[in-house]
Amino acid sequence: MHPTSLMMTTSLMTIFLLLAYPVLTTLSPAPRAADWALTQVKAAVKLAFFVSLLPLFLFMNEGVEAIITSWNWMNTLTFDVNLSLKFDHYSIIFVPIALYVTWSILEFAAWYMHADPFMNRFFKYLLVFLIAMVVLVTANNMFQLFIGWEGVGIMSFLLIGWWYGRADANTAALQAVVYNRVGDIGLILAMAWMATNLNSWEMQQMFVTAKNFDLTLPLLGLIVAATGKSAQFGLHPWLPSAMEGPTPVSALLHSSTMVVAGIFLLIRMSPLIENNPAALTLCLCLGALTTLFTATCALTQNDIKKIVAFSTSSQLGLMMVTIGLNQPQLAFLHICTHAFFKAMLFLCSGSIIHSLNDEQDIRKMGGMHHLTPVTSSCLTIGSLALTGTPFLAGFFSKDPIIEALNTSHLNAWALTLTLLATSFTAVYSLRVVFFVSMGHPRFNTFSPINENNPMVVNPIKRLAVGSIIAGLLITSNVIPLKTPVMSMPPLLKLAALTVTILGLMVALELASLTNKQLKTTPTLAPHHFSNMLGFFPPIIHRFTPKLNLVLGQTIANQLIDQTWLEKAGPKALVSSNIPLITTTSNAQQGMIKTYLALFLLTLTFAALLVSY
Amino acid sequence: MSKIQQTAVNMAGVGFRKWAQALTKSKGTGISALLSGCRAASGGSKGSLPGSYPTTPEEKAAAAKKYNIRVEDYEPYPDKGEGFGDYPKLPDRSQHERDPWYKWDHPDLRRNWGEPMHWDFDMYIRNRVDTSPSPVDWISMCKQLFGFIGFMLFMFYIGEKFPSYQPVAPKQYPYNNLYLEKGGDPEKQPEEVKNYGI
Repeated sequence: MHPTSLMMTTSLMTIFLLLAYPVLTTLSPAPRAADWALTQVKAAVKLAFFVSLLPLFLFMNEGVEAIITSWNWMNTLTFDVNLSLKFDHYSIIFVPIALYVTWSILEFAAWYMHADPFMNRFFKYLLVFLIAMVVLVTANNMFQLFIGWEGVGIMSFLLIGWWYGRADANTAALQAVVYNRVGDIGLILAMAWMATNLNSWEMQQMFVTAKNFDLTLPLLGLIVAATGKSAQFGLHPWLPSAMEGPTPVSALLHSSTMVVAGIFLLIRMSPLIENNPAALTLCLCLGALTTLFTATCALTQNDIKKIVAFSTSSQLGLMMVTIGLNQPQLAFLHICTHAFFKAMLFLCSGSIIHSLNDEQDIRKMGGMHHLTPVTSSCLTIGSLALTGTPFLAGFFSKDPIIEALNTSHLNAWALTLTLLATSFTAVYSLRVVFFVSMGHPRFNTFSPINENNPMVVNPIKRLAVGSIIAGLLITSNVIPLKTPVMSMPPLLKLAALTVTILGLMVALELASLTNKQLKTTPTLAPHHFSNMLGFFPPIIHRFTPKLNLVLGQTIANQLIDQTWLEKAGPKALVSSNIPLITTTSNAQQGMIKTYLALFLLTLTFAALLVSY
Repeated sequence: MSKIQQTAVNMAGVGFRKWAQALTKSKGTGISALLSGCRAASGGSKGSLPGSYPTTPEEKAAAAKKYNIRVEDYEPYPDKGEGFGDYPKLPDRSQHERDPWYKWDHPDLRRNWGEPMHWDFDMYIRNRVDTSPSPVDWISMCKQLFGFIGFMLFMFYIGEKFPSYQPVAPKQYPYNNLYLEKGGDPEKQPEEVKNYGI
């Protein structure tokens, strides 16, 4: 075997083993060491990251991609399901990034959760989640992808509901599971269609045999799956609710890795999507609607984690727009750069929240730049990267997306919404930075707020480095598969920057008004729309469960009993027999004319029968 | 029979009688009632089961007492053959609306012991339907949300009709606008097609 592919296979198997080993050691009855989380789990992830750099460098140097089929799992005469791992450029780049981000988050979580009595279990859950995510990303067939898909969904449920004594956390975990399940309907539909029509779940066979089919139905299923997992409009409320979980969970699952699984699915299936204009238009419009809607909701939120959650949702909408532009590689680039700065934003939020004695309301923060300068600087760097500041990480992914959107002969309204959402991004990012870092503290003095603990600062610094250089590194080492449009009018080229600066200026103007008491601000209807998340959760979460539960209760208590007793059972016997009985007994009262009439009737019938 | 044997028979008779008494009078269930004759303090007694629809004021008062409600608050479900019996019709308010700071007996359910349970109690727990008043009324919320969605769908439709980045001129291909490839006559001279110059 060629040494390069041998090395690649070996290193990837090593990564799996390194990640699985700490989980398997938990099966033994011996108790874990007190610092098991830090020494075993974090070290495993860190080591796995460095091992994963080997395939990355091999890929960047030689362009080696590998598909490893290692185990015949379920094989019938006509259908094969194998353990098949695909290390193409998407998974080779994503795995090191995921491991790097996870390493930073685990180090941070060791500080954040140090007072938790079940910290070891927390780390175990995070590790199982990571394994499921790597399984999802490296899957070469739909079955394995589904295993990873469900795995991340279940771990998300367990981690959101980590503080299970809290009813709101339980509700949020339930929301995550139910909304993801609705998306799973689409995925299973697509898988069933593929199994019956394309006769395989292996990606290569699917792409080849699908050329002659009308793929609208399975693609709709895949888009529904992505809507559920990646919180697109319609199935989005679970993502802001998921902020009930601890901040490391929000940083890992609900910003960098799990929520991009839906987009990743569409990227994997991009050879199927690219020839179906209906699917592309749906992705474009859905993504544009999502990105604007969630950016609008983020404008008036006061919980710092909710703002970052909505910004995640908005960026996921942007990724969906990119899929709709038939640019899967750009979407993937945005996934990678987004992982860095979003995870960093969450870690900074977590650090600030913990420092302020678990205060999450930005109206009660302020002046953090004097108290935690590194954290607030990194918050600013992350916000700048998010808004697409030139030459930070977000710029290399966000700007090409906007340029591609501007130069595409596509839905103008989608373009308008995306540009509006880009400016809103600048607005709420400035709002966060203004309320948290700038100005004077709006909280009571606590025991000294500091950044002396390296376990807090080092992960944030590492992710800051990533937020600055990741975009440059990836774009300069990966050759794009689709030629980007290079020449366009200057207005289109600078459109993203222009709208961002406009948004920033508006936000600065509004922020400066907070210091001046000109007149009382009225409560406007758009404020309610934005603050109550478009009224989507109040309406849907009250109406739909009530309808279903009342219907279920009525069916179980009344309809079934009524049917079995009154319509199909004992009373039905009575009600169906009584007319017969009355008719028969009425006819036999002993009246001669009844008998004569019946006699004549019978005679007529017999005559008719004989004649015909 | 000797005196000892007589005593044994007497004791057996006494034991048998006690056992028979326990069996008839006991209120527990199953084997425990049979063997020990003691009854549990919990569990519903026969008088606590729901009964038929109350027609007279005395029945209403008895039902209210059974369900631990005041007589003036007691309102049974209307007798439409749906099978509610004398179960009280409590206001359709979910547990979200109850005081979160009061020291309930069951803090997660926000309920005290002995409180009458709503017929749809499982629907009104804190993980499910919330009936607490919203800052904006229901009609207004529905109008705004569905108006927003309808507006967006309409504008997407308009956007499909008028896409962005319109081309300025028809596309111009090389080789005389692909004259031969499009099936043109090789003998005839094709006419010049020039939509734009570079």
